[in-house]
Amino acid sequence: MEPLLVVQDVEKIYGKGANTFKALEHISFEIDHGEFVGVMGPSGAGKSTLLNVLATIDSPTHGDILIGHDNIAKMKEEALADFRRDHLGFIFQDYNLLDSLTVRENILLPLAIAKKPAAEIRERVDTIARTFGITPLLDKYPYQISGGQKQRTAASRALVSNPKLIFADEPTGALDSKSAADLLESLSKLNDEHEATIMMVTHDAYAASFCRRILFIKDGQLSKEIFRGTKTRKEFFQMILAELAQIGGDVHDVI
Amino acid sequence: MTLFDLALKNIRRNLKSYSLYIGSTIFSIVIYFTFVTLKYSEDISVLAETSKQISGIMSASAFVLMIFVAIFIAYSNSFFMKKRKKEVALYSLLGVRKRSIGFLLFFENMMIGLLSLVVGVGLGFLLSRVLLTILMKLMGLDIVIGFAFSMDAVVNTFIVFFIIFLFTSMQGYRVIYQFKLIDLFHAEKKGEELPKARLISAILGVATLAAAYWLALQDLMTSPIWRMLSLAMPIVIIALTVIGSALIFSSVLVYVLSVMKKQERWAWKGLNLMTASQLLYRIRGNAKTLTIIATLSATTITAGGAVFGLYYNAEKDVQTYTPYTFMWEGAPQDINPDIIEHAETIKSKTLRIEQDINEMEYAVINQSTFEKLAKNLEWSDIQVANEGEVLMIDAFYDQRWSQREESVMIDGAEFAVAKLYDKAVFNTFTLGASAIVVTDQLYSEIKADEKTYQAVKVEDYKNQFALSEELAASTENFSSATQDYKASIEATGSLLFVGSFLGLVFLVATGSIIFFKMMTEAEEDKAKYAVLHKIGVSRREMRRTIRNQVGVIFAAPLVLGLIHAAVALTAFSNLFMMDLLVPVIIWMLAYTVIYTIYYFATVRSFNKTIQQD
Repeated sequence: MEPLLVVQDVEKIYGKGANTFKALEHISFEIDHGEFVGVMGPSGAGKSTLLNVLATIDSPTHGDILIGHDNIAKMKEEALADFRRDHLGFIFQDYNLLDSLTVRENILLPLAIAKKPAAEIRERVDTIARTFGITPLLDKYPYQISGGQKQRTAASRALVSNPKLIFADEPTGALDSKSAADLLESLSKLNDEHEATIMMVTHDAYAASFCRRILFIKDGQLSKEIFRGTKTRKEFFQMILAELAQIGGDVHDVI
Repeated sequence: MTLFDLALKNIRRNLKSYSLYIGSTIFSIVIYFTFVTLKYSEDISVLAETSKQISGIMSASAFVLMIFVAIFIAYSNSFFMKKRKKEVALYSLLGVRKRSIGFLLFFENMMIGLLSLVVGVGLGFLLSRVLLTILMKLMGLDIVIGFAFSMDAVVNTFIVFFIIFLFTSMQGYRVIYQFKLIDLFHAEKKGEELPKARLISAILGVATLAAAYWLALQDLMTSPIWRMLSLAMPIVIIALTVIGSALIFSSVLVYVLSVMKKQERWAWKGLNLMTASQLLYRIRGNAKTLTIIATLSATTITAGGAVFGLYYNAEKDVQTYTPYTFMWEGAPQDINPDIIEHAETIKSKTLRIEQDINEMEYAVINQSTFEKLAKNLEWSDIQVANEGEVLMIDAFYDQRWSQREESVMIDGAEFAVAKLYDKAVFNTFTLGASAIVVTDQLYSEIKADEKTYQAVKVEDYKNQFALSEELAASTENFSSATQDYKASIEATGSLLFVGSFLGLVFLVATGSIIFFKMMTEAEEDKAKYAVLHKIGVSRREMRRTIRNQVGVIFAAPLVLGLIHAAVALTAFSNLFMMDLLVPVIIWMLAYTVIYTIYYFATVRSFNKTIQQD
């Protein structure tokens, strides 16, 4: 089967002239349909830059990024906006919900932007809210609900339009461990049952252990790739810890 | 590093964020100084001797301007301080004492003030030259403006602004002492509750405004309400209008938007949801500002419209009461026959006629004289007085309070008044506003002294000063349209100038207030638009929602202000029996055009702000 995401020799350089900084160097990898991929690495390794470039929020200096048949590295701003709207979903560390809209309105925003009919919008919002267990909260405002509920709202918004690819940037970063586990299990379930393709940037080994595959980045380059395969989540967690210790990354974060 | 260095560095580094504040203070100073210069100007005081209204108008306006400028600077200052709360919090967090921070802000503000004063006075000096020239032109005078630098104006400006800056600098202290560190870090409140729409207050708002309009359109003479409230009436109308406007913004608009937001078909399409909910927050939070702007706009448009109307009608007014260019008592004078359009010799007798309790004096002319005069003025409704009838002319006739005579007694016989003309057939100053036209036969029978008058209509009457002066010196009971026009245009010209000047200042101020508000909100909304960008909203759609949001914020107070002004001007024109339609429409259009420029500038800056990464 054709891979969903193909990254070819991507490079991102910040600054101009002599004062440049290479945030990403010769990055190439593929993600297949239905995969749950984690990206890990120490602070400043280029995790977020990679995610932003893949998510079309930032553009690479060199290289190609193919999602399906579209080369997003070469698309124009307006086309990119449409592409994001139709094919990508985002979950951020700080939720990024709009304060002035209710939970329901926050979730339906991508559908409204895509100009779907109101009846279809209502149905899809109800379905996704049930999946994430936030149906009773639909008419509340973001300031009335907890951090975990906000993140589930954000996840619902990311998934409501059935995107080809979901990007999660430290989604558990601001959550307590119970809420984090709930969210990760929901994502994992979506990945298993609905074959949603998810790419998650994290520096938390526990969160990463929910993934099927993990890419490690160091100094802007891919350094290693590990697979969960048939291992249990706990075994995979140990494996990730061992790997992080080797890289000398954020092991102290994990205790 | 001393505190002085810190303050200086502060200004130098944050020049961009300071520029808005400095810009508006300089603007205020330029405006005020220019106006005061005009007030003290020698050219003006020479004029003031001839047309006395000017100095009175100037003084009153300078006072209004002073209060206004003070409010405007206080407003920009508080906007500026709000923006800098985080910086203050940082100093405080680093352990700088409140007293020192307060002194820093105080000192800094005084420095900005002094700097703006120097620049403002300089610019104001140049601007006053230009404006003085315009003023002279409007007043129809040809005077070369000298380069007089008025020390009085400088001193006046310095004192006024020193006090204003002292006051705003004190505000800085207040900000420091009033807030706790934690508040300073959360300068903008988060998670504010969405305003609830109450139908009752929405209805109340519409009703209040309707009541205000209804009262304003009552006839001054006949309405029982005017009799009841008498002098309190204008205050009641203004109070109702302001309360009504406030309710319109805080309830009616909120209600309408809430209803729209609930319409899923409309709201759940594109960014409509976002537009509506942003506006809901914005309008409720800014109801006070919007009310001020609506009221200010209404005042500006009304005052400007009325003044412009007077100026516009000046010529018509002159022609109503002084239809002939010159008129005097006595023999014909030597006038260049080339410029004469019409010249008539009028014979008139004066009669005193008793009516009820009063005795009225009428100039009596005969039918053929009347016809000659009226024909020259191109009247289309010339009537012939038959046997036993007379025609009456009352130039000051007003059906609201003038009594209409059905008949008059002349030499013991009663004559029916066949027609009443409410316009003058000759210059009212020379022969009076009231006249009776009788048949030629009756005229010859009336026993009264007969006097001879000359009425002359010449070409290009506005520019016959020399002739007018000459005739004035050599004749009696002289009236001159040339003179009247000049006096009228001088008075209304200066009124128009002051009116437009203040109008422009108010307009700029209202525009700037909205601009400030929107920029603060753009700064707060940045994160929201970043989210939208990530979700896949195109820049084009974002620009559209911003256009709509800013558009509503601009349009709502403007539309309300225009309606207020339209009602007020209707009342005004009814009261003075003037047709103001054309000048008022011109004035409103001018106002709207400048206001629209502000709108586009705001949309541009808003877009720029949210697109900064």
